[in-house]
Amino acid sequence: MIESKNRLFNRFMSKIKHFIASFTNFLKRSIKHFKRPFKEGSKGTKGSYFIMGFGNLYHKQYIKGGLFLTLQLLFLIIFFTNPKVNNTPIGFQAIRNFFTLGTEVGDIFGGLADNSMLMMLFGVVTFGLIAVFLATYKSNIYSSFYSDLRLKEGNKPTTFKEDLAELLDSRFHILLLTPTILGVLTFTILPTLFMIFIAFTNFDREVVPGLNLFEWVGFANFTEIFTGQGEIANRFIPVLTWTLTWAFFATFSCYIGGILLALLINKPGVRLKKLWRTIFILTIALPQFISLLAVQQLLSEHGPVNAMLMQLGILDQPFAFLGQARTAFTARVSVIVINLWIGIPFTMLMTSGILMNVPKDTYEAAQIDGASKFQAFRNITLPYIIFITTPYLITSFIGNITSFNIIFFLTGGDPNVPGSVAGQTDLLVTWLYSLTIEEGDVNIGSVIAIFTFIITASATLLSYRRSKAYKEEDTFQ
Amino acid sequence: MKNKILIMILVVISSVTLYGCSRSKPLVIWVGAEVQDFFQEKMEEYVIMFEEREGRAFPFEVQVRAADTGTAAGTFLDDMDAGPDILTVAHDNLGRLLSGAGAIRPIQNEALIAQIEATNPQAFIDVIRADVQGQSFLFGVPYEAQSLILYYNRNYLSAEDVETWEGIWEVAQTNNVRSLSITGADGFNNSFLVLASDAETGERFVRLYEEGVLENTEFVNDEMISIVRWGQAFFSHPNGARLASDSGWEADLRTGTSLTVIGGAWHFRAAQAALGNDLGVAKLPRFTITEDHAHGSVSPNTVMQSGSFTDTKMFVMNRSSDKLEYLEDILLFLTTPEVQEQSFLRNQTLPAYKNALESFEGMTADTIQGQLILAQLEMFNHGIPQPFGREARFNVFYYQRQAPDRLLAIFRNTNNQFNTVESIIEEMNLIERIWLGERP
Amino acid sequence: MMNQTETHLNPSNKVMLEGMKDKKIKSQSASNRRSTILAYVALVVLSVIWLYPIVWIVLHSFRAEFRDGIFVGIVVSNYFPRSFGLDNFIRLFTMTPFIRWFFNTLFVATFSFIFSTVLVLSVAYVMSKLKFKQRKFFLNIAIIIGLFPGFMSIIAIYYILKSLNLTETLFALILVYSAGSGLGFYVAKGFFDIIPNSLIESARLDGATNAKIFTKIILPISKPIIIYTALLSFTGPWMDFIFARVILGETNREIHTVAVGLYYMVHGSQYADGNQFTMFAAGSLIVAIPIVTLFLVMQRYYIEGVTSGAVKG
Repeated sequence: MIESKNRLFNRFMSKIKHFIASFTNFLKRSIKHFKRPFKEGSKGTKGSYFIMGFGNLYHKQYIKGGLFLTLQLLFLIIFFTNPKVNNTPIGFQAIRNFFTLGTEVGDIFGGLADNSMLMMLFGVVTFGLIAVFLATYKSNIYSSFYSDLRLKEGNKPTTFKEDLAELLDSRFHILLLTPTILGVLTFTILPTLFMIFIAFTNFDREVVPGLNLFEWVGFANFTEIFTGQGEIANRFIPVLTWTLTWAFFATFSCYIGGILLALLINKPGVRLKKLWRTIFILTIALPQFISLLAVQQLLSEHGPVNAMLMQLGILDQPFAFLGQARTAFTARVSVIVINLWIGIPFTMLMTSGILMNVPKDTYEAAQIDGASKFQAFRNITLPYIIFITTPYLITSFIGNITSFNIIFFLTGGDPNVPGSVAGQTDLLVTWLYSLTIEEGDVNIGSVIAIFTFIITASATLLSYRRSKAYKEEDTFQ
Repeated sequence: MKNKILIMILVVISSVTLYGCSRSKPLVIWVGAEVQDFFQEKMEEYVIMFEEREGRAFPFEVQVRAADTGTAAGTFLDDMDAGPDILTVAHDNLGRLLSGAGAIRPIQNEALIAQIEATNPQAFIDVIRADVQGQSFLFGVPYEAQSLILYYNRNYLSAEDVETWEGIWEVAQTNNVRSLSITGADGFNNSFLVLASDAETGERFVRLYEEGVLENTEFVNDEMISIVRWGQAFFSHPNGARLASDSGWEADLRTGTSLTVIGGAWHFRAAQAALGNDLGVAKLPRFTITEDHAHGSVSPNTVMQSGSFTDTKMFVMNRSSDKLEYLEDILLFLTTPEVQEQSFLRNQTLPAYKNALESFEGMTADTIQGQLILAQLEMFNHGIPQPFGREARFNVFYYQRQAPDRLLAIFRNTNNQFNTVESIIEEMNLIERIWLGERP
Repeated sequence: MMNQTETHLNPSNKVMLEGMKDKKIKSQSASNRRSTILAYVALVVLSVIWLYPIVWIVLHSFRAEFRDGIFVGIVVSNYFPRSFGLDNFIRLFTMTPFIRWFFNTLFVATFSFIFSTVLVLSVAYVMSKLKFKQRKFFLNIAIIIGLFPGFMSIIAIYYILKSLNLTETLFALILVYSAGSGLGFYVAKGFFDIIPNSLIESARLDGATNAKIFTKIILPISKPIIIYTALLSFTGPWMDFIFARVILGETNREIHTVAVGLYYMVHGSQYADGNQFTMFAAGSLIVAIPIVTLFLVMQRYYIEGVTSGAVKG
């Protein structure tokens, strides 16, 4: 045990060493890369180090040079004039603001307070702008340097038209990726970074950006969750446990149910397979907010299901299945069962395709050998299905950890726990939603977001290793 | 062909971009959903009046939108710039709106100040006034009042039955149904017990931030313990009170599984849809502390009157509005006693106007709408405006730190964890500490 | 990379096996027939369970019940409505901005499906067929970013949109739906992976540019995956609730999408008339008919897409 721990530690250390080494390598290479055009390039290239586009202009690539120059001017203007958006500057002041998160407290007759939220956001944006600028700066130098090299080889520098044409051919990937990269930078990476930063501030329900300031608090929110005495600390472990329990049961119940349903539909002798499949696909096709809200009303105390159960004499008074359930257990079982209704058709679809692909010759051979149907199923069909659907199992486990709709529309997280925002059926993600959107405790919400990310990320890593193993294995038999 | 597609896409993209960017900002007013149409019409009248008076067109398009007055302040604070120019809030949000640099503008138009002071009850003026930088200002323009009342099913209950909770309870027991559904679990809904007062003397036993001082708060005393114990008996009994079912309180009322509902005027239309002509409206009932619940110095058979927060809805002005100069004149017009009377006649809103009872037509108990108004007015004798003043913290302490949930948990006593007086007192002490600002 | 299971799909092989099976069925014993009957019974029971809520909501969208002349819109306990009528639809069209919601959603869905489809196919093609230096890097980054559930950063997105002066606009919603869509390229990449490289290489030898190869050779044979991508991105905005709710705000009902609008009919106090379940049912029916039809018609492509994606992991 100790030995293995040591080994683990050593492996970890060597990984770190490796990382440091490759990082220093990267730095060295970058510096070399940066210096080389200056040493070997033309006057134009040297000029590009100071005025962007200089080299291109020198090589008579006027449009390209002009573009670089404009970009440089634009960047410098933005950086030094600090234009204001919603009263908050972007530029070098934004960098300072990123660290202070605002100083002006404002008053009712004067100005508003500094908007800490926007200051943080624009700080991140400014860092991003600088990074983009540095990248353009480098490509400006190399653009000129390549022209130098072409001249040396006896070719002319490329014209702007040729450059554009390249975008459709050898640099086609740049054309195709740029919109996505821009979109992802603005609407995925930037917000994600921003949320991570928020986790280190005291931006809670008592802060209104623009009216009062918030500030950096280091790891206080993290310690609050793990060692604190408050509501959040008390509820974190129960919510996490329930999230994992839910994900486990939701995944496997739908998985088993889906396989059984697929077997049923694909059973030899059953006709109208397409019709049956279509019936079950209906719940996938129907928008979830419709089907879930309908089911919630259907199961509610004065809905038809309760009425039916009472007519049959099973119940003598209405039974609350969901948010108003008397015990957490009832509500939890209910959501898992209702989830079958949503989830089974998915697995059915997945496994239907696979079932049809079960190596039938083996199957038939086994039957001829006298194996019973059940044995054939247990020894051939099942291992095959399990083998081939493991990646799906893991993705659906991750999907269930972050499954928002089911809980939000069915129970809203209830039954309520007195003294806490997080109810008995709240998952990490729905808790996060109520904390940030409804209660305004954005900082704690961000910490929970980070943890959810860590959980899903480690599950995915696992799935990745699994699917790698899968790829390396040529045959499963 | 390919070029054509490309041009088409470009045209589409640029037109969409223009669509996104070229919005002109209208003047936006948020009001409760039940009076949206009414105020839209009033604003049309105002625009005509403005144009006649000033001899020029009113410079903005006016949009009156429905917003839940309970959550409007929060929605507004989430994003002031995107917020309306004028919004309706219940007065207890004042503190939040004034926190930090302050999100709303004090009223400075003399005519408007005069109108507010002349037409509103002193209790309202007290709670909309706040001190900023040593000076005292009015921050809102009250135009509606609200309090909790009882909606009941006349199929089962007579007007006498609903005078006491015990009367309702008895009928519920005969029919094996519930006596009461409360519409929510928050501190507003439980005020029928928290604010209960002695029916004879009118003395109220809870103390909440009196005179705007945090320490003037008290929950745990013999009377309140007795009341909470009575509440527990009421909520934990199979024919007593319950939280509305997940079909909604309307369904509870409609199916007769709950005989009554505590609600405000904003629940009226839904209650009427649920019960039709069988709907009755009354002031909140009384209840009697029996020997089982009496604690300490409280003598058994003390009769308590259920209480209610008696709030005012008011207009406030967004300080970030770029149309500030127009707003006070609009408010002067929208909150006159005449407009309040029209709104009362049409929407059954309870006016904030202090002389409404004497001077408004139709303030009679002949119609269900009249009863609605009268029941609310009566509740004004048994309630207090939410006492949070300009202190945003008080509101947070009272509502947002889960004290209401804990109180409801004592009442419901689902897991029998509050069977003993000691455990009730302990939890009540905890609630009191939350009210006083401690984190539990 | 051919999936190894494909080999078992050899058509002639399959036909032969089916033939063998048919013979077997004929010689089936009574117990086999009994199990088939049992299977039918099970399928019928399950179908009833699956269709029950759907039929119920359809029935109640046509419910017209009044009490003392006042329309009753809340959920009731009887499965079949006592009286039928079109009142819900009439009320939906006259008393709420439902028509606006519908066209708002259609507008958003149309644009985001155009943008998303283009982006997804582009990224998938790049990741599958174009070789360049940072390819591996981009792949890894895409996987990691894809792990962060989108709505966790919704507040930040809201403020970014706000500083672009775009909140409470449908355009913002289109932007949010399309911007990150390129990250969902896995299924399409899987599809492109199967296209043999020789096809591309021979085109290159003929002097075609990469752009030409993509538009003239690859796209025409990618109909299934184009339809799959388009189907998902078109139906997405009809199903999404969270982004629409936060970005469009709660008060300006004119610009809501159907999901947000209908949600408030059964939740929250936006409506003075309280819970309006039957109106919700009517609205749901109007939304569901085109979406479900689309799904069922395109079923084949959808199934192909999800199954290939799942098995690859």
